[in-house]
Amino acid sequence: MQKQEIETQYILEDSEFLEDGRHVDTMTINMGPQHPSTHGVLRLILTINGETVLKAVPDIGFLHTGIEKTAEAKTYHQALVLTDRMDYLSPLNSNHGYSLAVEKLLGIEDEISEKINFVRVALAELQRIASHLVWLGTHALDLGAMSVFLYCFREREQILDVFEEISGVRMMTSYICPGGLQADVTSGFEAKVRTFTKEFPAHLREYHDLLTNNQLWIERTRGVGILTKEDAIAYGASGPTLRGSNVVWDIRKAFPYSGYEKFDFDIPVGTNGDVYDRYLVRMLEMQESLNIINQAMDGMPAGPYRVANPKITPPPKWQITGSMESLIHHFKLFTEGYRPPKGEVFVRTEAPKGELGFYIVSDGSAKPYRMHVRAPSFANLETLPLMIEGHLLSDVVAAIGSIDIVLGEVDR
Amino acid sequence: MAITATSTVNLVKEKFPQAVVETIEFRDEHTIVLHRTSLLTVCAYLHKTLHYNFLSTVTAVDWPENTPRFEVVYQLLSLEYQCVLRLKVRVGEKGEEHPSVPSVCGIWPGANWYEREVYDLFGIVFSGHPDLRRILMPPDWTTHPLRKDYPLNGFDLPDPHWGGQVPYDTDPGVGNQTLRSWDGRELNENRSRLSQNQEPGTPKEE
Repeated sequence: MQKQEIETQYILEDSEFLEDGRHVDTMTINMGPQHPSTHGVLRLILTINGETVLKAVPDIGFLHTGIEKTAEAKTYHQALVLTDRMDYLSPLNSNHGYSLAVEKLLGIEDEISEKINFVRVALAELQRIASHLVWLGTHALDLGAMSVFLYCFREREQILDVFEEISGVRMMTSYICPGGLQADVTSGFEAKVRTFTKEFPAHLREYHDLLTNNQLWIERTRGVGILTKEDAIAYGASGPTLRGSNVVWDIRKAFPYSGYEKFDFDIPVGTNGDVYDRYLVRMLEMQESLNIINQAMDGMPAGPYRVANPKITPPPKWQITGSMESLIHHFKLFTEGYRPPKGEVFVRTEAPKGELGFYIVSDGSAKPYRMHVRAPSFANLETLPLMIEGHLLSDVVAAIGSIDIVLGEVDR
Repeated sequence: MAITATSTVNLVKEKFPQAVVETIEFRDEHTIVLHRTSLLTVCAYLHKTLHYNFLSTVTAVDWPENTPRFEVVYQLLSLEYQCVLRLKVRVGEKGEEHPSVPSVCGIWPGANWYEREVYDLFGIVFSGHPDLRRILMPPDWTTHPLRKDYPLNGFDLPDPHWGGQVPYDTDPGVGNQTLRSWDGRELNENRSRLSQNQEPGTPKEE
């Protein structure tokens, strides 16, 4: 591409044009990639007239790390670690989606025990709350409510403590893996989760007290950044962004996975598709997730924490020291990995940001031939110009916060 | 009448016998492989008549040994009937550097960014796309990283993408190894002339 072409594409000149018979001076400004309210490295090229945004062009790719390319050079088990790094605010949900896709490719979904499913669901919902807490904190901070941020991170810390308890790691857990879980849940797991679920409803009420009926909050968010139902579907928005626009759609209900059909929960939806609706949807989702966690903890059965298939999961340590066959299985698994049959799967899961899909193509070797991630933030970000064009510059910040993007997932 | 993936496959086969190359079923997931020329007709039919109103993603797979070389993959979803379907188009004859596929942006506007991504990472051109630019890689990147012939580690330290000269002679950070660009040009030639004990950036002792 010629230099001239690049400049015309990326540097929009300040221009004058006629509008209602008047000359209008427009200005093109850069928002990001280094801007606190763009939640990472999002760059927006905004053409503004006074304080009104006429045109918004998102420019992404600043965090492109080539995860899809890297995955092609890793075995299926190693590629799991990469999925942590995409949506770094909800790594367990990414692990969950990836594990389900690999299990489907291997054809071992039926071997996954009830206990694994219950632990997975409990962790996925804890992670959803943690992700929504970061969203709430930063979103409120963007709009000027500082204290909510501090409260949210206090509660998120409790959830990260649970993850540390079971996996030893606070954020990049890789705990849910193809074939089950990396390790059995520890004895302190249930007590920690119970403490959280007992304390959290009071905290949730506290957030509602701070924001939901707060006149300042309502004026900044109601009627702002409207996304219509038709646009939301046409542009492939998903998760709370789609539900905020009054579309009743949740992958957990439509295509239940990991036994979600056994849990009783509701899907909150908005009415207008504005920032306030998306805010309320996420707030109510935290309550629903809490209900699911309680049900999962109450009904947690006993059982193995990974499938007893030595070709896919390593044998227990005591067997390795005593049995030659187990030693060989262990060695083969960690040097070569497992080989799913030729084929391809696309598995959708409901991540905190929306529909997270893993498309994995296998050529029969131990490494994924191609791994594509349908990142919810990527599609949700595409709807941003629809929300902000024609509105005020200060509403851009509210709209970005309300779609809850994570740039690690957008750029992958 | 409720629509399922199986009934969709049968309907499409019945209605567009010329369009379908083959149908694949693996792990209860249905795939229809279409001819490039009839992609838009079938997509419009699926969207309008069978209510596949949600396009989950568009991606591609590179099979360098095969002809056609690329598979462009569309994951469709019907919110109304809760069923999913995968469409595929195979493109890229031998020696064709940038194969072309008709863009589905007119049917699902959300395809815009996905098609830009596929163009960026695979070099597949979507004809009729309103704004076909690179999306993840820098705008003046010349190659397509997700192709199988693109090396995993990238090329051997290519020129900085903005075209300037990196001051390798002052702060190479690479020890004494010689770095070359992909066309064989030595990038830190000044560095190799520095003596071992000399601090980078200081004048050379004569």
